[in-house]
Amino acid sequence: MKIKVKIIGPFIYQAGFSEKELELETPTTAAQLLALINLPEGRPKVMTRNGRAIAPQEQLEDGDRVAICPIYSGG
Amino acid sequence: MNGWTGKLLRIDLTTGSAKQESFSEEFARSWVGGRGFALKILWDELKPGIDPLGPENKLIVALGPIAGIPAPNTGKAVVAAKSPLTGGYGDGNLGTRVTVELRKAGYDGLIIEGKASSPVYIHIVDDRVEILPADEIWGKGTYETNDWIYKKYGKGAGVLNIGQGGENKVRYAVIRSLEGRAGGRPGIGAVMGSKNLKAIVVKGSKDIPMADPQAMKKLGSEDLKKVGEIDKKTGWSIQGTNAVLSWLNEVAALPVRNMRKTSHPDAWKIDGQRLNAARIATYGCPNCTMRCGIAIHDHEGRESELDYENIGMLGSNLEIFDLDQVASLNYLCDDYGLDTISAGGVLGFYADAIDRGAVVGDFKFGDVERAKELLRLTAYREGVGDFLAEGSRIMAQRIGGNSLDYAIQVKGLECSAYNCKYIPGMALAFASSPIGAHHKESWVIMFEITQTPRDSYGPEKAQKVIDLQRIRGGIFEFIVSCRFPWIELGWDIQHYADYFNTITGWNWTLADLYRVSDRIYSLMKLFWLRESPNWDRSMDYPPQVWFDPANADTEGPIAGLILDRNKFDKLLDSYYEIRGWDKRGIPTKKTALELGLAKEAAEVEKYAKLE
Repeated sequence: MKIKVKIIGPFIYQAGFSEKELELETPTTAAQLLALINLPEGRPKVMTRNGRAIAPQEQLEDGDRVAICPIYSGG
Repeated sequence: MNGWTGKLLRIDLTTGSAKQESFSEEFARSWVGGRGFALKILWDELKPGIDPLGPENKLIVALGPIAGIPAPNTGKAVVAAKSPLTGGYGDGNLGTRVTVELRKAGYDGLIIEGKASSPVYIHIVDDRVEILPADEIWGKGTYETNDWIYKKYGKGAGVLNIGQGGENKVRYAVIRSLEGRAGGRPGIGAVMGSKNLKAIVVKGSKDIPMADPQAMKKLGSEDLKKVGEIDKKTGWSIQGTNAVLSWLNEVAALPVRNMRKTSHPDAWKIDGQRLNAARIATYGCPNCTMRCGIAIHDHEGRESELDYENIGMLGSNLEIFDLDQVASLNYLCDDYGLDTISAGGVLGFYADAIDRGAVVGDFKFGDVERAKELLRLTAYREGVGDFLAEGSRIMAQRIGGNSLDYAIQVKGLECSAYNCKYIPGMALAFASSPIGAHHKESWVIMFEITQTPRDSYGPEKAQKVIDLQRIRGGIFEFIVSCRFPWIELGWDIQHYADYFNTITGWNWTLADLYRVSDRIYSLMKLFWLRESPNWDRSMDYPPQVWFDPANADTEGPIAGLILDRNKFDKLLDSYYEIRGWDKRGIPTKKTALELGLAKEAAEVEKYAKLE
C-alpha cells in the first residue's frame, strides 16, 4: 500500500525528508511506520492520519497521509 | 524585602513630575509582580468608565521578582492599561532590555499618568528622571526611533517606544523594544501615544536585591547552560515557533481567508523549513537561551523578524504565500508599531466583508500591495485606514447586519493564529482569556487533537485550559519570565518556584503561586464587571461564525463539522464551575472572599451584584 508521510519541524533534518510516499506491506501499524523513519530517540512525537489523531497500534490503510511532529505547546 | 526593589516610579506627564513610591510586603505577597501589580494598580487607581485614550488612563510597566535576573529567559516586561480595543483590563509582555535596566535602576515598575502637552520621551538613569522633548522622533517609525535613541544613549540602554500607529491611537497599536520585540496587543501602544509619550529610555547601575545572590547566580548560570543544551538537542530553534504551521495545516487549524478555511495547498511556501532556509539572522531577548526571532530579507530587502503568529495572520489568513511579502507586511507592522495578529485579523475581516458584499472596497485576499498600503493608511488613520484602525469588533458594529458574526475576535481582541471552528477546548481558551482572544493565556490544540477526542466538550478540556492559564497567564505573567523553556523544552515549572524562593527567601510552593494566578484571573473579571455592570456570558463566546454550519469546511479532516453552541455552553459552565464563578462568568462572592478579594468584591458591588 502507498502511504504519504509528512515530517514536521526539526525532525525533517534527521529524517532526511519533509514529505514522501512510501510503499509499505499490508498490514502496517502507525508504530511500525514510525520505526522505519530515522527520528530522534526519546523525543516525544505525535502522529495524525488524514488530519485526525492515530494511536500507535492502529493499522494504516492505502492512501493514508500520516504526519509526524514533535510535541509543541504553543507560542 | 528581597526579590523586589520595593519601589515603583510614578511619572505624571501633565505636571512633568516624578516620584518614587514604596510598596508593602503584603502587596508583593498578594500580587507578586508583572500582571498582578499592573492589574491591582489599575483597579485601585482608575475610575470605571474612563476613556482608555484619555489622560485619566494610566500606562503601567511592571516587572516581577524573576525579571531581569540571570536565569533562563527572564528578559520580559509587562505593559498594561485599560484597553482601547476591548474596554477591559489589557496587557501584554515583551522582551526588552528595560527589564534588566529598570530593575537595576531601582524600580519594579512604572506608573505613567496624565498627558504631556507636546510629544516627549522619558529618560531614567537610576534616581534621575527626565521628561524630554521628542520633536526629533515624533512621527518616525520604530526602527528610526530606535536608531536615534541608540545614537544618543548607546546600545546598552533599555528602550520602549511606539511608532505612528501608537501616535495616531490605532486601537491595536503595540509597544516595541530595541530587541525587535512587541507587546501590548490590546492597544497599549495607543495608550502610550495618547499621552504624547514616544519612548522610555532606562539605564540602571544598582544590584537587584536577592535573599541569596550567590546561590541564585550559581543556579541561574547552570540552568541557562542546561536550557541552552536542551534547545540544541531538540533543534527547537531551527524553525522556532513557525514549525507548528505545517502541523496546523495538516489538522485543519490554520487561519486561512479570515479563518473561513482551515488549510491551504500553498501553506508549505511559508512554513518553518522555508523560514529557516531564508534566515539571515536570529534574535532573542536578554538572558534568552532559545532565540525565537528568525530574521529574513523582506520583499524590499529590509530585515524582518518573523514568528508563527505573524506569518499565520499576515500570510495564510490573507492568502499571501510569498514568504518575503509576508515579511514585508510584518516589517511595516513592526515599524508602524501595529500588532501583527490584529492587523492580519482586521485585514482578513475587511477582505471578507468586501467579499460578502457587506462593504464596498478594493481589497481582496492575496493582494499584498494593497495590504501594504492599507497598513500605512491605518497607521496614519487616513481614508479607510481610520476605519481599519478601530479593530474588527467596532468595524463590524459600524457595518451592521450580521457582520459581527464574521469578526474573528473575543471581547474585541482579534484571535491569534489558530482556527478553532472545530477545536472546542482551544475555542474555550480564546473565549475565556480575560483580555480577549490571546494565545498567551492557554494553548491546548496539540493536546486536544492528539490526546482527546476532538469532538468532546467534556470538563477535562475546561480543566486543561485552567491548568495552563494558571501557569501561562498566571505564573509567567506575574513572576515575569518567558514561558518558552517550560512550554517547548519541558523545563519543569518547579524550577521557577525555586528561582522565586532563592530570590525572595520565602518558601512558596507551586500551589501558593497558583493561588495568586486565580486571584488575578478573578480580579480581571471583576474589572470587567465594574466597567460593564450588564456583563453576561456572551462576552465569553468565541466568534459566532465558528458555530455556523454554513461555515463548515467542505473537504479535509473536519468536512461538514463545526462547533456546537449548546455543547460549548456546557463546556463554558464546566469552566465557570471549576473557577468558582457564576453563570455569567463572574466570581461568586464566596470565591472572591476565598481568594482574598473582599475589598474588591465590596467595591464592585457598588456597580453590580455578586452572587
